[in-house]
Amino acid sequence: MKIVKTLIQVVFLYLFFMLGNFLRQWLSIPLPGSIIGLLILWGLLSFRIIPLNWVEKGAYVFLSTLPLYLIPATVGVMNYGHVFKGKGLLLVVITIVSTFITMAMASLVSQSMAKRNEKDEVELS
Amino acid sequence: MNSFLLALAMILLTVIMYFIMNALYVRLRSPFLVPILTTTIAVIVTLTIFDASYNTYMVGGKWIDALLGPAIVSLCIPLFKQRDLIKKNLLPIASGVVVGGVVGMVTGVLAARLVGFSNELLATILPKSITSPIAMQIAEGLGGVPSLATVFVTIAGLAGILIGPQLNRLLKIDTALGQGIGLGVAAHAIGTSKALEYGEQEASMSSVAMTLSAIIGALVGPLFGFILFP
Repeated sequence: MKIVKTLIQVVFLYLFFMLGNFLRQWLSIPLPGSIIGLLILWGLLSFRIIPLNWVEKGAYVFLSTLPLYLIPATVGVMNYGHVFKGKGLLLVVITIVSTFITMAMASLVSQSMAKRNEKDEVELS
Repeated sequence: MNSFLLALAMILLTVIMYFIMNALYVRLRSPFLVPILTTTIAVIVTLTIFDASYNTYMVGGKWIDALLGPAIVSLCIPLFKQRDLIKKNLLPIASGVVVGGVVGMVTGVLAARLVGFSNELLATILPKSITSPIAMQIAEGLGGVPSLATVFVTIAGLAGILIGPQLNRLLKIDTALGQGIGLGVAAHAIGTSKALEYGEQEASMSSVAMTLSAIIGALVGPLFGFILFP
């Protein structure tokens, strides 16, 4: 019974993805269907139209194996070996260094601001 | 081989490799053995040995790829459960995402330009920190190569989860918020899959960052192109 329930939730989550895709095409929203689906589900959960336990179990099936679903996309790198030969190798270096700086800035800015927020709150109370 | 058997073989190859690599990762816990990286390498090596092309692989791969959509929708759950943390930190989150997003586009494009790569490649590398479907759109809009854009997105994602732990130690990023935002902004869905390992708060932060980056990227990505290579 538990498996059937989880399976229904998995299908339900898939429907949100399809709804997102449908809206993307119909309204030409420049976002992927998955993100539109995520935002709609988030809205429905927030306004208590859908209870969390309708989707939670199914979602954890997906989330516990998320890297698996990314692999068909990452394997696509194999088609582009020729781009990264010779000077092209620099593009890989640039991507890695830029990613490092990006992550550092995003982490530092958000963390330092959040910590300052907390300090202010402590001082106020 | 008929296409049903071929699809089945490719699906099994991916799933079995993934579970082997996952077990290896759980056993050894080396950050360089993240299953997404090791499985990708193992699949590519296997395909190369059998002289199979990516198109051949995708006969089966597309069925796994089809599940990425609902998996992304599922990120809504940590996002919803951690809504108080998000509400409390709206400004730090938004600032981190915007600063990181801008830095990501500018540093990549400027460095590539300095080295003298073509405008086509600049446009292709620009959206590397943003989730693939949006990155392809942005690259295409600026005159880049959409399919190559996903390659940069993949490299950025893998680089992000490999350097993330070291970077956190080096810069004393010790909060779920700081770690999650960094992963989501710089490494999108791949980073979020790593954040899920850390915990629900990190995953929620990474999901917010990834989603916001995608939305902001879709809106202002094309604009940045004009500024960076007029």
